[in-house]
Amino acid sequence: MAELTAVREPSPFGVTSRKLGIWMFIVADAATFAAMLFAYGYERVANPDWTRPFAFWPTIANGIVMTVVLLTSSLTIIAALLAAQAGRKTSALRWLGATMLLGTLFAALHLREWIAMIGEGWRPFRNPLGGTPLVGATFFSITGLHLLHVITGVVVIGVIALGYRRGRFDAGLLETTGLYWHFVDLVWMFVFPLIYLLNMR
Amino acid sequence: MKRYVVVWFVLLAIVAVEVVVTLAHPPTGLLLAGLLLLALIEAGLGLLYFMHLKYERRSFMWSVILAVVIAVVLMDHFWLDAFRLLHQRISAP
Repeated sequence: MAELTAVREPSPFGVTSRKLGIWMFIVADAATFAAMLFAYGYERVANPDWTRPFAFWPTIANGIVMTVVLLTSSLTIIAALLAAQAGRKTSALRWLGATMLLGTLFAALHLREWIAMIGEGWRPFRNPLGGTPLVGATFFSITGLHLLHVITGVVVIGVIALGYRRGRFDAGLLETTGLYWHFVDLVWMFVFPLIYLLNMR
Repeated sequence: MKRYVVVWFVLLAIVAVEVVVTLAHPPTGLLLAGLLLLALIEAGLGLLYFMHLKYERRSFMWSVILAVVIAVVLMDHFWLDAFRLLHQRISAP
């Protein structure tokens, strides 16, 4: 039985393997977003004819609303976790619903903006203002990857909420999901200033 | 919950500062530095409070932060090439 002792060693970090797993994912995903933002930085510096396409109205104003919505959703998912930890199941489910609603609103606002830009002639490899087409490429790829994370998050929160309501999932899983959601929020804290504000006319 | 609401308000205030600073139209380099600093403060608050790193073991907190910092530092090697292109005034395709 001596060879089994290693299996029973306590976690060196004092966290569950589930939490360690989501943190490893977050570290890897943070590196992915960092690489994309660095690539954007490279293109931005190396291209003298970089276009600044965004006016305060409607793009930056829309971005401010999206930021407030996403930040608020971080607060609602914390409220859900606190309620779940206190055993208030109905309250936790309501807060999870509010988080999903805010996530959906963020995605809707983002898609509305994308549709407006596409209507103006923007494409991943076409710049209707005549500058380098890399403006569209970096914008759609970075915000697209973030939007994919938001939509995935909304779906995952829905699945977790269903399982929690049926008693299959506990508050610990809500915390793990919350960590992912906060990370999505945190990435936006870099995307909004670097992609939107820095490209304001 | 009160602590999280306070952090939320601080984050909203930082976003407001970012917008106001941008509207003042400072030089691009200065604006970039300011926005990056404010984004890093936001990220720090999010990590420590919303993601509870402040309440985890120090060894865990630093393992997570250092992993990302090292990855980001390793990505910095190509800036010289970007500035070389800038000074040559050559646009990428």
